[in-house]
Amino acid sequence: MAKVKVRLYGVVRLKTGMSAFEAEAETLDGLKKQIPGVTPKEAKDLIVLVNGEKAGRRCQLKPGDEVVLMSPAGGG
Amino acid sequence: MATTYGGYMGKVLKIDLTAKEVSEYPFSDKERELFIGGKMMAAKILGDHLKGTEKAFSEENMLVITTGPLTGTGAPSASRFNISTLSPQTGYITSSNCGGHFGYYLKKAGLDGLILTGQCDTPTWIEIQNEKVTFHHADDLWGLKTSETQAALDDRLRMKNGRVRKNGKICIGPAGENRVLYASIVSNERGSGRGGTGAVMGWMNLKAVCVGGNKEIPVYDKEKMVKHTQKWFRYLRRHPLTGEQLPKLGTAGLVSSMQMKHILSTKNYSSGQYDEFEKVSGERLAEAYQIVNKGCLTCPIRCARTVEVAGKQVKGPELETLVLLGGGILNNDLEAVLRWNYELDELGMDTISAANTLSYAMEANEEGLWDNGLRFSETEGISRLFEDIAYRRGIGDELAQGSRRLSEKYGGKEFAIHAKGMELAAYEPRKAAGLGLGYAVSNRGGCHLNGGYLVILEGLGLSVNQTTYHGKADLTMMFQNLMEMISATGQCLFTSYAFFPSPLMRHPNAWYTRLVNAALPYCGFAVRLMNKYPELLKLHLPVFHHTKGFEYATGMKMSFGHYMRCGERGYNLEREINRRFGVSADKDILPARLVKTLQDSEDPRSKVPLEKLKKVYYHARGWDRNGLPTEKLLKKLQLEQI
Repeated sequence: MAKVKVRLYGVVRLKTGMSAFEAEAETLDGLKKQIPGVTPKEAKDLIVLVNGEKAGRRCQLKPGDEVVLMSPAGGG
Repeated sequence: MATTYGGYMGKVLKIDLTAKEVSEYPFSDKERELFIGGKMMAAKILGDHLKGTEKAFSEENMLVITTGPLTGTGAPSASRFNISTLSPQTGYITSSNCGGHFGYYLKKAGLDGLILTGQCDTPTWIEIQNEKVTFHHADDLWGLKTSETQAALDDRLRMKNGRVRKNGKICIGPAGENRVLYASIVSNERGSGRGGTGAVMGWMNLKAVCVGGNKEIPVYDKEKMVKHTQKWFRYLRRHPLTGEQLPKLGTAGLVSSMQMKHILSTKNYSSGQYDEFEKVSGERLAEAYQIVNKGCLTCPIRCARTVEVAGKQVKGPELETLVLLGGGILNNDLEAVLRWNYELDELGMDTISAANTLSYAMEANEEGLWDNGLRFSETEGISRLFEDIAYRRGIGDELAQGSRRLSEKYGGKEFAIHAKGMELAAYEPRKAAGLGLGYAVSNRGGCHLNGGYLVILEGLGLSVNQTTYHGKADLTMMFQNLMEMISATGQCLFTSYAFFPSPLMRHPNAWYTRLVNAALPYCGFAVRLMNKYPELLKLHLPVFHHTKGFEYATGMKMSFGHYMRCGERGYNLEREINRRFGVSADKDILPARLVKTLQDSEDPRSKVPLEKLKKVYYHARGWDRNGLPTEKLLKKLQLEQI
């Protein structure tokens, strides 16, 4: 298990009421199950960046990684 | 001229401010079929008068205020009106779209549009009640800020029973009075911000226009319109962009996405990321300052924010202001941005151009080109500086000219971030090639919306390859035409986002969304085919409610193909008018920073491949190599008489 820092942006941040939290997970799929107040179905639609790079669901996490979870956003 | 179509009031008034004369301006049903309303109707009127020798501050210029046929019909987000004129900033035609109530009340007064020409001999405000025009002295209003002006006008429109007669207002603040080149016209808390329309109104000595009345706005098929509108509202409320993100976070919600995609303009567009973006983000705004969100008449999206600043409830900043007065000048103090946003609205000034002119001045000072005392991240005294701009005092008098003119005087053209003299919006285009093209070719100058807003495909919505040039020119043309027409009908451009089916926006990781992202750059030929043969699309798209809504409101036939053809006509009409003022390919340019300097030194594609994109774009549009519409194209678009 890797201990990672998770930052939340967009509507998901308002929904959880949290801007960041720490979690332990091996993969992104595992991490997505730990977002408070967000169902797995909703978590599936979050955009994920690991250390600033777009990452797929099977991405293996390493200790100290910074994960960004963001709701889809567009139009301004 | 009276009309047989629904949605229109059938009358446009021309007011000669010099002679204080009012006359009806002829606008026929044939012209309505071709030029619809809003910015297209205004372009037709300007195109019939401007020869290419006029100046913005002259008797020959006009301020043309128009509504669209959907304005006030109950269609969603359809309270818009448009102001077009010859821009003092660019010297070309500009069109500036505004929400609020004014458009609705202009139609209640019995008018589709107003044409203002000439110059009042003393400060004046105009009252229009059911087509009747009254001129009033405005000496005591001159000098007032925009909210003070509107409150004073409400007092004058108070009836015997103490209630204020229902009305819509537009007015200018001190910036317009003093002809700051990027002065805005304000309506309630909304602004016709871009292009310097407020400076033209200031030159006219016209402080405000109030309109009202009790005319009925006709709808061709009321029953069908009501049913369709209900369906349309439901669709917008269910869509992830118009039903969730914009109502919850407003446009400010894009700051974080822009940071992740490297398109967040920072330090005068020298970078696409700001280390302290979180402190000036939409999330922070919602968590710490937002009281409630607000919307225009009949708008289900409700994208505006009300925030509290120093105990006062005021309109919150849009994304552009947040970014350009945040990371744009290396400022991480959100409360300062809220305050400046309010102050700029009160003074009646475009926040985008004001912010970009400021960041240019800061860089020019740091580069030793202009000793003005302004530095990035030093924000003390900026409120005072904005006042100095509005009242043309000291250094403010120079800043009132905008970044293009300053760079011509002091140097630093490579980092004066404008196109055709108008400053760019908050999206850094080196990682959004299509938007870069849009900024350069846009008829009104550095505008993201008139430029086609391709960034919605390039990371803010879909995730098409941001730096590829493939397909971007054709898609830019398509979205420019689409938005041109939506604007002309009197609707908010945000309704265009529903053009993207909900699943694509809601499920960014789904296989079909990834497929669309990968395929779109290779769909240019299909877009071009559709543009060439719109009759192939004689249908209504299920995700695009605009065409049926237009038919029910007006009684005019309107397929999707026809809708796009009308948008194309409008875009080419403005280009054709600008040709008279010298626009051609050599004016479709961006500053060297964006086309020559890499945003990321390790990514050779992180700059706008402008020349390559322009070549494809001109070809797609049917323009010649010099970027001008051909005679054949003008004939096809029925613009040969223009």
